Amino acid sequence: MNGKLDLHFAMRNQKTIMKDVYYQPPLKASRGLYVDNPDNITVYLMESSGGLVAGDRNAYSVRLDERTNVTLHPQAATKVYPAYNGSPSRQQVEIELAEQASLTWEREEVIPFAESEFHSHTTINMKENSRFYWQEILYPGREKRGERFTFDKCHTQLEVWMEDDCLVYDGLRFEPSKQDVKHFGVMGDYHYIASVWLIDKEIELDEEKWNHSSADHQVSITRLRDAGYLVRFLSNDLPRIKKEMDQLGRKS
Amino acid sequence: MRKQKEGSQSHLSTEGINTKFLYLMHIHDSAFPIGTYTHSFGMETFIQNELIRTKEDLFHFCQMYLHENVAYTDGIFVKEAYQQEKLAELIRLEKICDASKNAEETRDASSMIGKQFVKAVLPVSETPSLEEWYQLLQDKKVTAHFPIVYSLYAKDLAFDLYTTVLTFLYSSTVGLVHNAVRAIPLGQKAGIEVIHRLIPEMEKATITVLERDLTDLSNHAVGLELASMQHKYLRSRLFIS
Repeated sequence: MNGKLDLHFAMRNQKTIMKDVYYQPPLKASRGLYVDNPDNITVYLMESSGGLVAGDRNAYSVRLDERTNVTLHPQAATKVYPAYNGSPSRQQVEIELAEQASLTWEREEVIPFAESEFHSHTTINMKENSRFYWQEILYPGREKRGERFTFDKCHTQLEVWMEDDCLVYDGLRFEPSKQDVKHFGVMGDYHYIASVWLIDKEIELDEEKWNHSSADHQVSITRLRDAGYLVRFLSNDLPRIKKEMDQLGRKS
Repeated sequence: MRKQKEGSQSHLSTEGINTKFLYLMHIHDSAFPIGTYTHSFGMETFIQNELIRTKEDLFHFCQMYLHENVAYTDGIFVKEAYQQEKLAELIRLEKICDASKNAEETRDASSMIGKQFVKAVLPVSETPSLEEWYQLLQDKKVTAHFPIVYSLYAKDLAFDLYTTVLTFLYSSTVGLVHNAVRAIPLGQKAGIEVIHRLIPEMEKATITVLERDLTDLSNHAVGLELASMQHKYLRSRLFIS
């Protein structure tokens, strides 16, 4: 199946509105909701098939006009089923942010099942004064079934460009059967990788607060060149990751 | 430069190649002043956390560093820079290189070493590509990441792609071993043994890198990345990164 979801946000009477929506199942968007304030529109991203099966491809295209303020919320984790026929599942996200636009993409979660193959490519083109917040958790598989890095391949790629300047170019390419995933320089005994990208020139975080490490949870922060922060987690404590991500989501 | 290239082609004797090789040996000498002895790229965090204590630990760490980090990151940049003829594309490549290094200290280390390398070799070599790059650096158009400038230099000296990637992997790993021997500490003999065991791994990694391109770039050595991010919070540090 090839899902498609195109969203276009614009300003009308000082308010962000969802101007155009085009979708092709299994992808669909909720109506625009004004949760906290009339300034910010929240849209839930829905996937009706329950997951990606070998060969499936979902493509998102999101456009924000000047000064719009949008939160996108994937309703469920992306489950990637085995690549029985050898064809991988793919997800493509393309985002265009105009001047002073702000986009928050809440917690993208990827669960690659045993023997699955997944490739996701997310590209953001933004302006110097637009803002972009992205959260992602990569699971090692279906933990309750004891799946830990038993997928065939999982490759996620995030690129953020500001005109000709590259702000983020982060690939995570796992092919566990060929890699030394258990080494402490890679995953060690941790199972989850989580990333919070805060691409915002103005933002200031308490860096020491986001640097701690224990046997089952590690978090560190780094400043990106002139562009904000990356906070990265290696952890076995999923509720704690989510809790700390929520705190970061409030951009404190 | 052209003269040098023609010269090397007309004397394809072993003697000619060996003499030329001395230039590379020279820049990989641990006394060559590009500052690699001041950088651990996150390794010091692991040493302080007692995850690297013995020569076995060090060998496995360097093996991981080669295959899961350099062969998915800088090795690819060396190869892609070598094969890129267009200046605009080369500049774009360096921007990607800069952005792909998430940990601030590792990103800075790569461009610090690169800058020192350019400054050290320019006065004594005829390398038109590096001269051009140095100009771009002065104009703040590039940051002079080491894998890019190393590749430009080796290509100007007419070394082939395989040799260029292999020697880059050699210098990246051997530098770490020397630093680890001081920091853990280990005896010199242990260091020599680790390097000898790593040489076949460097060959394997080079062959892999030659089959890769930008789509293979990967930061999945997340443990190392976090170690690099945490490095600045260590109480006492021997290394800048």
